[in-house]
Amino acid sequence: MKLGTEQSGLLGRVRNLAARRTEGRGLILLALVIIVVAILEPTAFTAYSVTLGRVALIGLVALGLTAVILMGELDLSVASTLAVSGVIMASIPDLGLGIVVALAAGILIGIVNAVFVVYVGINSFIATLGMLFALRGLAFVISDEKPVRLSNIDAGIAFGAPLIGPVTPRVLIFIVAFIALQVFLTRVRAGREFYAVGGNRQAAFDAGIPVRRRIFTGFMISGFVAALAGVINTLERTAADPTAGSSVLLASFAAAIIGGVVLTGGRGSVVGTLIGALSLGILQVALTLSGVQTDIQDIFIGSILLIAVITDPTQLRAAAASVRSFFQRREKAQIPT
Amino acid sequence: MKPDMPLPVLEASSIVKRFGGAVAVDDVSIAVSAGEIHAVVGENGAGKSTLMRVLAGILTADQGTVKVGGELLEGGAKGSLEAGIALVHQELSLIPEMTVAENIMLGSTPTSYGFIRTRQLKAAAAEALDEIGVSVDLNESVARLSVALRQFVEIARAVARKPRVLILDEPTATLTPAETDHLLAMLQRLANRGMAIIYISHRIPEVFTICTTITVLRDGKVVDSTPLVETTPSAVIDKMVGRELSLDLSSRRVATPGALVLSARGIRAHNVNGVDLDVRSGEIIGLGGLVGAGRTELVRAIVGADPRYGGTVTLWVDGHPRNITSYQPAVRAGIGYVPEERRTDGLALTMSVSDNIALPNRRELSSAGVILAGKTARFASNLADAVGLRPPVITRDVGEYSGGNQQKVVIAKWLGRKPRFIVLDEPTRGVDVGAKAEIHRIVRELADNGAAVLVVSSDLPELLELSDVIHVVRDGRITGTLSAADANEKSVMSLASGENLVGA
Repeated sequence: MKLGTEQSGLLGRVRNLAARRTEGRGLILLALVIIVVAILEPTAFTAYSVTLGRVALIGLVALGLTAVILMGELDLSVASTLAVSGVIMASIPDLGLGIVVALAAGILIGIVNAVFVVYVGINSFIATLGMLFALRGLAFVISDEKPVRLSNIDAGIAFGAPLIGPVTPRVLIFIVAFIALQVFLTRVRAGREFYAVGGNRQAAFDAGIPVRRRIFTGFMISGFVAALAGVINTLERTAADPTAGSSVLLASFAAAIIGGVVLTGGRGSVVGTLIGALSLGILQVALTLSGVQTDIQDIFIGSILLIAVITDPTQLRAAAASVRSFFQRREKAQIPT
Repeated sequence: MKPDMPLPVLEASSIVKRFGGAVAVDDVSIAVSAGEIHAVVGENGAGKSTLMRVLAGILTADQGTVKVGGELLEGGAKGSLEAGIALVHQELSLIPEMTVAENIMLGSTPTSYGFIRTRQLKAAAAEALDEIGVSVDLNESVARLSVALRQFVEIARAVARKPRVLILDEPTATLTPAETDHLLAMLQRLANRGMAIIYISHRIPEVFTICTTITVLRDGKVVDSTPLVETTPSAVIDKMVGRELSLDLSSRRVATPGALVLSARGIRAHNVNGVDLDVRSGEIIGLGGLVGAGRTELVRAIVGADPRYGGTVTLWVDGHPRNITSYQPAVRAGIGYVPEERRTDGLALTMSVSDNIALPNRRELSSAGVILAGKTARFASNLADAVGLRPPVITRDVGEYSGGNQQKVVIAKWLGRKPRFIVLDEPTRGVDVGAKAEIHRIVRELADNGAAVLVVSSDLPELLELSDVIHVVRDGRITGTLSAADANEKSVMSLASGENLVGA
């Protein structure tokens, strides 16, 4: 006797693919943003180097977050990691050494986060919230509360220059990081097992997956990537700002969530995160070019994040049902008894 | 030892495992040889699953040793896997977002330089599926498989590791009879090829179909371990329960259904596809069916705890019909709901017994918005006595009590509201025998005092003993209704699984 499903036809396979992927909503949003921006503020596309830079800034941090969120954890400390690594780098006279130390600091911060989460057993929201504040303080202490100028300014200016067409080194690094993480999470065993850790941690453990080591890896990735973003920022501005990163944190989270990464873990992809970062980056630049203030921009981003979460298919069904029962009750109340 | 006896592959000696003060496994020894199918049976809470988790290295024994092929087992779950022990869990332990192939090879993914070797992965997964005779699309994500197929994928994962010892914990709980037969034949085949198999089941007939040896556990101890040919099903059941078991139908209350209290029409919700249901005063209605049939979803939709897609629920309050659309008005109108997951849905574990009992009764226990402490304490301690809470200390945190006592607290808080209609979902799951009997007594008293009672239970003897009428649910529909006189394990099971067992 054989039990099992039948291989369905082409249509069925397409439907299966659509049900399995998580990027659908992100794609729809991206299409909407592109259409609206193309009509109302097409300069966002003609000034594509600005737009690409913005996308790369949000996207890089969002990539690191994706690795952590896939395991059902959070890393709020990325914003401060970005600032601390930049300040460390600028404080060291030798540029090459500065970059290496800054990146190492990012990995170290990831390890500290993971120790709190894995060994001390603190909820990652709280652990990384603590680190967010502590590291911000550290950045101010190291920098003496002032922006630190890079000693080798020429190198910074050279770094900001486009390499090929509009592709600046920042964009190039983002693309490399994106490909590396995509390969890691889909083709490398350790990365693929992130999904298992986030999808069903007990089952992952029972299957012999080193869950703790995977969580360490995840936090180290997000720490490293945030430090990388800090290094790039410092190079481009030729100075390290201890307040850097605060605006990036929320936009990066929003990019990952809009791209379909589920906060409880196990679902999502870096492709989705890229789509989310593209949507938000294009939107932010278009709004800036139209003279919309950043405060108003935040209202837009917040609204889009909420819409993205509400339009999750399971959320939609529940919302529809509760709206219906609300009106049922209304009808009932109008009937005199 | 006789010379012709094969050396055991797995040998556990004097295993003891405690959880806090409770001894879950008490000095248990068990040995399994190659080619043997060894049944481990026992009631809920007898310690079977705990013992298996010790054998699989997931739990560490407080005392005793486990040897595989003569070598001491070390290194936790990983060490056990490497030594060749594969456990198929009772709860599904698949990763929903991963594909069938990835799930089968989870934890033993073939790689080169850390990269997954996709072709090899699929080939190995296909081989394991082939071995158990199941065909599933390897690229399908597990979230989209039926519960039964997931169970087989889980077994494929264990088989893919080419274990020396395969442990299956209640593998047939969610399977239809045809699927069960397939599984049993497959286990027989694996055993013939020299695999040692430990088979845990409630279903005695299955055990007698394929097993060679049987070990009976009761209250964490081995009460019997014998070759299967030397015992009989009824002897095994007697040893499981430790007393002569007969469904004591003589002690049944005589049901005197009164007026209609609740009537549900055309209920549709997630996993519920159009159900009509009536419950009368003084009547206990049982809902039977397999896990995942939609019973919990149905009762949650009826009381308004989850949204309905369609249908109406009418509660008759002193002769007046009231439409029930959502949970809070339902509770105010006199509906009580004892949920399946008492620890997460039924109780605030870090609050005291008295606070928990007071929760749905705050209105009655307060004056001008202030809760009256004295009145609350009297109210809570009366109810704690009524349900037989032990020890009856209402100031203790609920979390400190055992499962059975926690369940009594959940029931007590609803008793205080004198419900017209009460739903109990798996009221005695994970509850010891004594507390179970007391909970049954309370449920009967509720009905005797005029409440309309709806009980969901996967424990067939319990369902048969309590219910005046049993509705069997399958695929979110009521597929059959049995009166107390017509219902037995066989008739309920055949309706629940959709296959005609009677006479087959």
